[in-house]
Amino acid sequence: MVEPLDEFERELREQLLARSAPQGFTDRLMARVPRQQSPRTRWTEFGLPMWRWAVAALLVAAMVMGGFERDRQQRLAGQRAKQQVLLALRITGSTLREVQQKVNTGSEQQKLSQKGAGKTILEKDDQ
Amino acid sequence: MHQSPNTFRELVDRHQARVFSIAFRILGESGVAEEVAQDVFLELHRTLARLESEEHVTAWLRKVACHRATDALRRRAARGDAAAEEYQDGMALRPIVRELMPVMNRVEQLLFTLPPAQRTVILLRYQEDLEPEDIAIELKMPLATVRSYLQRGVKMLRAKAERTLKEYSRG
Repeated sequence: MVEPLDEFERELREQLLARSAPQGFTDRLMARVPRQQSPRTRWTEFGLPMWRWAVAALLVAAMVMGGFERDRQQRLAGQRAKQQVLLALRITGSTLREVQQKVNTGSEQQKLSQKGAGKTILEKDDQ
Repeated sequence: MHQSPNTFRELVDRHQARVFSIAFRILGESGVAEEVAQDVFLELHRTLARLESEEHVTAWLRKVACHRATDALRRRAARGDAAAEEYQDGMALRPIVRELMPVMNRVEQLLFTLPPAQRTVILLRYQEDLEPEDIAIELKMPLATVRSYLQRGVKMLRAKAERTLKEYSRG
């Protein structure tokens, strides 16, 4: 419940009416108020001027392009290495085949010569 | 609220007396009170877009003015300023206060002898015409404390007023 004001309180209220600020207050204040800034464009609405956005975009583009280029170089190097390995395998394969053929030829000749030698011994025994 | 230089100027014109009076009656010095009042309005300029209505602006100004003026008073007290410590003096006005406050009316001089928190409550009650419940909300203070400050503050002011009146009539 709001209590009614007595005589003294009424006097207080009258004496404590708001008093005006010193002469020229508003002018002095308005001189300190920062000038209205030009409305922000779409590019500056996150607080950065346009040239900073352009630099940032260039940097990002350079990083992406650099990444692609590095990837391409790595892929080419991989392909070259693969071809070298395949070539080496082919050479090794053909060499092995040659060796195998030589080994096979050599062992057949040995068998034939051994057979020939056996016949000679038997013929000698028969005599 | 919509913010243009003209709107802001009108707003300042409408509220300058309120803000300056709060600062002046808490601080007791016109120059410092003007600095505080200007800072309050500059802060309002930065905050205005977030305030929805004139009532909101009024309540915001009242609250910020009270806080800024009390902070300024504390800073002065920390520097050992005599006027800032004057409220501790008890019942009578010392001559130094009268010298510092030539532009104050008698009630303002008496008011300045109260402790700052009590002074702020009395100001909001009799200058701003707020009910104790609203003062409690505005100052984030328990309602019982507000009521007690009001009751004791008015009693002290009445006693001081009677004493100065007797001194005056004795010549």
